[in-house]
This record gives sequence, structure tokens and C-alpha cells, in this order.
Amino acid sequence: MKQVYKRDLERLWQTISEHFELYLPLEQDGKVNFMPWKQGENVNIDRLKTDLSPKNIIFPPTETYLKFRTVNKRLCFESVGGKNDKYVVFGMRPCDAASYSILDKVFLQEPIDRFYEERRTNGIIISLACSEPEETCFCSSFGIAADNPVLGTDIAAWDIGESILWQPKSEKGKKLTGILDNILQDTSEHEIIALERLQQSIREKLAQLPWVDLDLEIISNNMKEMFESKVWEELSKSCLGCGVCTFVCPTCHCFDIQDFGAERNGERFRCWDSCMYSDFTRMAHGNPRKTQTERFRQRFMHKLVYFLNNNGVYACVGCGRCVEKCPVNMNIVKVIKKLGGD
Amino acid sequence: MSCNCQKNVDSLIPQVAVIDSIRKETADVATFRIITPAGGKSFDFLPGQCAMISIPPIGEAIFSITSSPTEQRFLEFSIKKCGSVTECLHSMEIGSEVGIRGPYGNHFPVNDVLRGRDLLFIAGGIGLAPLRSVINYIMDNRRDYGTVDIIYGARSPEDLVHQEDIMNFWPKQINTKVHLTVDRAVDGWSGHVGFVPSYIKELGLANNKVALVCGPPIMIKLGLQALEQVGFKREQIYTTLELKMKCGVGKCGRCNIGDKYVCKDGPVFRCDELQQLPDEY
Amino acid sequence: MDKTTVRMQQIALQTLANGEVDVILGWKKGDEWYDSYPVVINDINETAELIWDAFCVNNLSKYLITELKKNLRIGVFLKGCDSLAFNQLVIDNRIDSERVVIFGLPCPGMIDPQKVKHAGLNKGLLKVERTGDKIVFITKEGVKEYIGRSFDYDKCLNCRCPNPVVSKYMLSDAVTRTDEEQYFPDVTEIEKMPLEARYDYWTKQFSKCIKCYACRNICPLCSCETCVFDNIAAGVSSKADADCEQQFFHIIRAYHVAGRCVDCGECSRVCPVGIPLEKLNRKIIKDINQLYGDYTADTDIAKSPPLGTYKVDDFDPFDGSKQGGKK
Repeated sequence: MKQVYKRDLERLWQTISEHFELYLPLEQDGKVNFMPWKQGENVNIDRLKTDLSPKNIIFPPTETYLKFRTVNKRLCFESVGGKNDKYVVFGMRPCDAASYSILDKVFLQEPIDRFYEERRTNGIIISLACSEPEETCFCSSFGIAADNPVLGTDIAAWDIGESILWQPKSEKGKKLTGILDNILQDTSEHEIIALERLQQSIREKLAQLPWVDLDLEIISNNMKEMFESKVWEELSKSCLGCGVCTFVCPTCHCFDIQDFGAERNGERFRCWDSCMYSDFTRMAHGNPRKTQTERFRQRFMHKLVYFLNNNGVYACVGCGRCVEKCPVNMNIVKVIKKLGGD
Repeated sequence: MSCNCQKNVDSLIPQVAVIDSIRKETADVATFRIITPAGGKSFDFLPGQCAMISIPPIGEAIFSITSSPTEQRFLEFSIKKCGSVTECLHSMEIGSEVGIRGPYGNHFPVNDVLRGRDLLFIAGGIGLAPLRSVINYIMDNRRDYGTVDIIYGARSPEDLVHQEDIMNFWPKQINTKVHLTVDRAVDGWSGHVGFVPSYIKELGLANNKVALVCGPPIMIKLGLQALEQVGFKREQIYTTLELKMKCGVGKCGRCNIGDKYVCKDGPVFRCDELQQLPDEY
Repeated sequence: MDKTTVRMQQIALQTLANGEVDVILGWKKGDEWYDSYPVVINDINETAELIWDAFCVNNLSKYLITELKKNLRIGVFLKGCDSLAFNQLVIDNRIDSERVVIFGLPCPGMIDPQKVKHAGLNKGLLKVERTGDKIVFITKEGVKEYIGRSFDYDKCLNCRCPNPVVSKYMLSDAVTRTDEEQYFPDVTEIEKMPLEARYDYWTKQFSKCIKCYACRNICPLCSCETCVFDNIAAGVSSKADADCEQQFFHIIRAYHVAGRCVDCGECSRVCPVGIPLEKLNRKIIKDINQLYGDYTADTDIAKSPPLGTYKVDDFDPFDGSKQGGKK
């Protein structure tokens, strides 16, 4: 276990950025999001969660992955996706780091998505435990420990006031720790006690949260029965069909593929898409999900049933962003409660 | 500068392919024969599988492969004009280049379940395209399979695709019968008139066959009912489905029926398995 | 229970029971203090769950177009700003006002849960009550009282219409606001910027857009059956995260609601990345007022909308003789 004093943080970031691209939670116009850092930026590591999830780092909102051109009637394709730069993300919360391990199940499954793989391999994630979990947090329902970053984490970190404790969890994490040897300090008994105290306090706060008892087990695992449930119509009535829940969600990963350009020269990109949108499944000869009720159902069935069946985990980490951002206060917590025969 | 020599090339990157010939089937269906720039087919596959064809800068669309896996010289696709990519394909000339990637999805169980069995193919309109791949594969391995009955219907005689196969080639094969039907009587058509589902019942075929069904959604639905009425069990029936697809590899998230992705777990489904899935296709 | 809530439940019960309306658009309370959410009810037993509090921010006139397709007569609870949108939908011929019964709710302002959170008051918070500008926070530990509007949504601080301009039943006394704000300070601030700075400002703002379309979908006046941005055939459905696409979307949208926007501020409220969309709309409102005379047609449906009518002496910015440019 190492530590970095808060007065040394700027120096730490500076050193990291000499070797890597560095992403930090930056505050701009009142919103905090992970963005590439340079000196003088307004870093905010106290805000519990960023407004948008950091999934954009490994799964960009738009990624041009193919360039095409026609020369003498001959078509040429060039693969241009992925990212070679090595980077570090500092201050990601355990739920968001865990979401990376969920996205891995989609993109690193055969056939492996090489662009995603490249981004994942090149990144080092420093995950910061949540000293102050919020009332919209329900990560514990998904087995994520806010006091102990593990999933998707290369280095676990804890803010104990004067310093940030630093514990490498992977080979990549150990390497970075080596590079930062002259900034990171050794810890003593004192810090270990402080860490235990912090973790204890986090667990106590988690136990006080309103959704601590949210139980996924209450959801039936009968796919057809769930699909045909009457709750979808009722719950989806107020849904406006925007895509904010899917875009702020760290685990939503549906994408579209489109071409851009002229006949002789252009590119193909993929971009975030949303199952909430009416054109998501629309074909020339019809649409299997004609109404918002069907689209709404798809989103939650995917997260709570389909993804679980296929990958053994739920496609939710309980970050609570959808809870805060839905314009009409509809969210996965309500869906879970309702499905449990509430 | 095709990037296909790179290692770790992503499955979303197409190869270049050339349109070798275009055969007009009906007013809005044509069969495109596609080869690599050096000649030969772009990849091996099994009957029922699909490929993504791209026409920059219009985009990509997925199609079932209609040629037989036994055909080494080319891949064939029978494509109906019904969207921007297909419109563009239909306007292309022989020698034009397109992108192709695949093969995608599962296939009809030609190497196990279907072996030695009597087979019943039921197709409507352009739905013959994926079944033709199976039928021609079977014709090239004729001794491995039992009798073959092909029920094929379209709106009118002009809408029947692959006329050479249905009129001349298949009927001449051993133990193979082709039953054609059109929706409405027209001058010059001396064959059967009526919808495919009712024709299934009229024919009074033995119900110990394995049935392979493909066509428009309503024909599949009523066709299945007809098969069940004449004593087929759902376990004996295979069908192939089509939903909107973008990636073809089970990641983009839009072609699912319940927890199954049509592009990856399908497009071929056994009907009893399909029954376990939510009704959303 | 809050007096207005009692009145709300009574009137809903009464109008449903006597057949004056077939369904009611209102709000119910979820389990959390900030969770008041829109509902459509037709069961009289559910009327007892309707509530009115400082979180009923959703504009229920948004649901009228769809619900009027399914129901003959609808009862709807509308705040001041909501009633402006209602009038505009009537002017746009999108709804039949004869089939709608309005229950008016004078509104002292809605509370922004994010402001409560940033003030650290959300810990253990159970309930928030508001009477005028008195706000009571009921927590597990006890009760805290605040006077003032520091927790109001920004959009409510600019409110020009706290009282419904149209209603059949008014549910409480009118709210009087003496602290009239200067109406367009934010617009004036941007107008003062040099052209390039203004361009940079908006480019930076639009570049934050993630194309979630929450602004469009919450907008009571974005009422097209199929939005051009959802129409594949229109060739503009690109979801690309490219600056030009985002600018295109927001500017087209601003122009499509020009002269119809009632400045309810919902677009800015729901934007997850904080684009100040209301400034764009308010600039257009300010210009329309300047060019065509004060327009408040949403408060009076008898007046004709300036961008929907033509007069020969209308200001014509495309007329070269007045604008300079090449002749």
C-alpha cells in the first residue's frame, strides 16, 4: 500500500501525463466529466459521480473505424478504428470501473471487437472508493463494493483526508506505481487504521441508503412471463422516448453504423444508439417494436434478464445516473420494485 | 490497399468484392453473383448463413447467401429492392466493387439433423433465397438425404424467383418434387392457385419429414399452423428470421428476440425453441 | 395533507365520477422526496394518490396530443408555464381545447433536486414541503426551514407566468411575485459578446451534446408526428457525434419552435450536459418582440402569431435596402 499526499496530486498528474494521456473528472459550467487533463484545468475529485459515465473513454460516442475511397473504379478499405495512445483514468468510481468489466463481456466476446480491445488494453484505471455514497446509489444490489474497488480496477484508491491511499491490483497498475515511485510515499500503521475506519464508515453510510434493500432476487427468471407482464404498459406511459437514460448509463452499449461522405471518398463510423428510439429496429418492411411500451420493455428486459442469461451478470451497476437524469422520474429502481410485485 | 492483410483485423471491416453477374429474377428481385477481385468466393459458409454487403457511402445491409456452400467459384445473393442499400445495388453494373463481410449466424443442420431425413421446403416469395442454398447443397450430396418436397409460392408467376431451378433443375433430380403455387389465377398459369399455408394442407404430405420454412412473416406464421394441423411437431420445423441488423456479430444490440440475437444465435431457429422466446419478431 | 393536494384529489374524483372527463393527467409521488412523476389515471380509486408539491415540474400538456387520440375528454393539471404551452398547442391546431378540462395550479416555483444535493441537504432527507417561499426539509434527524428561492430551478427564477392563463377550475389563490426579474439579462449578455466569441460560445456548448434528444422529447411544442431527425428518408438522421450535426440539430429545433416557444425552460432542465438551450429560444423571443411588437399570444389565443401571419409593413431583414450588403 502506497499513498500520495494531496499537496502532491498536481505533481502526480503532471508526471502521469508525461507518459500517458490522463483523464480526470473536470468541472466545466457546473458539470463534472472525465476529460483529458492539462495543467490549469478545474479538477473535481470530490463530486461523487460524473454527469456522464466514463464509458466514452473505451466506447466513444462516435468512432470512425473505416475509410473508403474509389480509385479508377477500384474500391479500397482502410481500417482506422481503435486507439494506440496509452492512457490513465484517475478517480473513476467502483461502479463505473465495474461497468468496464460488463462492457468487456460484450466487446471482448468472440468475435473480439479489436477497436474496443485496443482501448481497454491501453488504459490503466485508478478507481477511487466512494467516501460519501449518495441516496441515488444502489451499487451494493449488484455486488459492487463502494469501499473496495476491485472490478475493472488496476489501482484501488481511497481518500483518507490528507492523502490518497494507493494499492495496485494488476500488472498494469504495478508498472504505473513503479513510474511514480518518487511521488508515492510508503504508508504506516496510521494510514492502515484510517483506511479501515473509512471503509467502516462507507459501509455504514451504504446501509443507511434508501435502496439498500433493493433485491434483484425478487425478479422472476422466467423470460416469457416477465416479457408478458402487465407492468410494462403502466410504467412506460410517461416515458417520452428520449435516450438520456441509455446515454448516461455506463453499461448501455447499443450502437449504430453509418456511412458518411461521397462516392469516391468517405468513412464509416459507429455511434451510440438507443433502444428507446423509434428507428432503432425499424426496417423497410416493418418494426417489431412499434410503441414506446415495447422499446421501454426491451431496455429493462435487456438489463435484468437477457444480459443476465447470456453473461451471468446484470447490465446495471447501480450508479443512479438514470435516476437523476430521467426527465419524468422513471428509472430502473422503479422497474425492479414493480417487477417484484410491489 | 485493402487492409485485410493486417493481423487482428476487426470483424466490422469488409473485404472488397466484385459483382460478377446480375440475373434479373422478377421486377424487383435480382441475383447478384459476387467474387473476390482475384476470383473465387470470399469465404466458406454453411447453408442458412448471411453476409453483410456494403456499398459506400450508402451503408451496409445483411443478406442470406443463396448459392450453395458447394459452389466454389462465387457467392450469390437474391436481393429485393426495398431500401437505400438494395436500391443502389440494383442500379450497379457488372464489374462494380462492393464490400462484403461474413459469414454470420448459425445454419440449417445439414450435417446432422437433416441427414437421411425426408425434407419439406416451404418458401414464399424472396424467402426461397436462403432455402435454395440448402436445396442445392443437398442436390450436391443427394445420397445423404431422403426425399425432397419443395412447396414454393409467390403472388404471381412473375414473382417466382430462381425459375431455372424450380422449373427445370430441381424437378429432374431423384426423389425431388416441386409444388408451385401463385396467390391468384392468371392467364397462362396452369399450376396450382392459392396461398402456401392452404397448399400445405391440400398436398397431404407425410408428416414424418423435417420442414424448413422461409417467407414473409405472415406466411411463416400461417405456414407453421398448417404444418401443425397436418401433424408436424414444432421440433420438426426450422425457420429463418430477419430483423434489423447493423454489426452482424451480436454486439450492436438491435436484432434480439428475448436473449437470442438473430445475427449470432439465428437466423435459423427450430420452431419449438422459437416458441420459448418472447413474441417480438 | 397539503390543501391544494386535497383539492386536487377532490376535483379529480368528482370529474371522473360525474363523467366530465375520461382520464386525468396528474402527478403521483414515488418513494423518494424528489420523485413526483406524471401519470394518466382513469380509476377513481387512484385519485387519492394524486399529489401537488414542489417537484411537479413536468408539463402535462406534453401528453395531451397522444392521450387525446385515445380518450375523448381529459382533465389536466396545469401550472402557469404549462398553461402557456397548452394555449400554444391550441393555436397550432394540435389539440382540441373543447375536449380538455383544465385544473389550474398557481405555482410558487419548483425545487431543483440538484441544488438541494449540492447544498448537502439531501442526506437522510424524507420530504420537502413548500408554502410560498417557505421551504421545509424534513429529515430523519429533524426539520430545517429555509425562506427564499435558492433551491428553485433556474428556469423558475425567470418565471413570467406563475399563474395559469387558462383554466376551468383554479385550485388555489394566485401567486403574486413582486420581485419581477429583468426578462432577458442572459440574452443581453451574449449579445454583447463579439461575433467570434459568440460563435465560439455556442460551438463549445453544442459540442457537449450527446444526441439524447431529451430537449426535444420534453418540449411541449416539439409535437411533430415524426421528427425530421428521426426520419431515415430525410437523410438527416445521422447520430454522429460531430459538431456540425449537433449545431444543425439545435439550430433547426430552435427555429422550428420559433414564435411558438413559451419559454418553459424544460429543454435546459433536462439536458444532461448542461447546454443553456433556453438562451437560444429567449434570443428568438426577444428578437420577435423587438421586430414584431410584444408577442404574448400564448396568453391570449385570439391574437395571431407573428411568424404565422404576414403584414406588408413587416420588418424584412432580407431586404437589401435596409440591411446594406451588395446591391
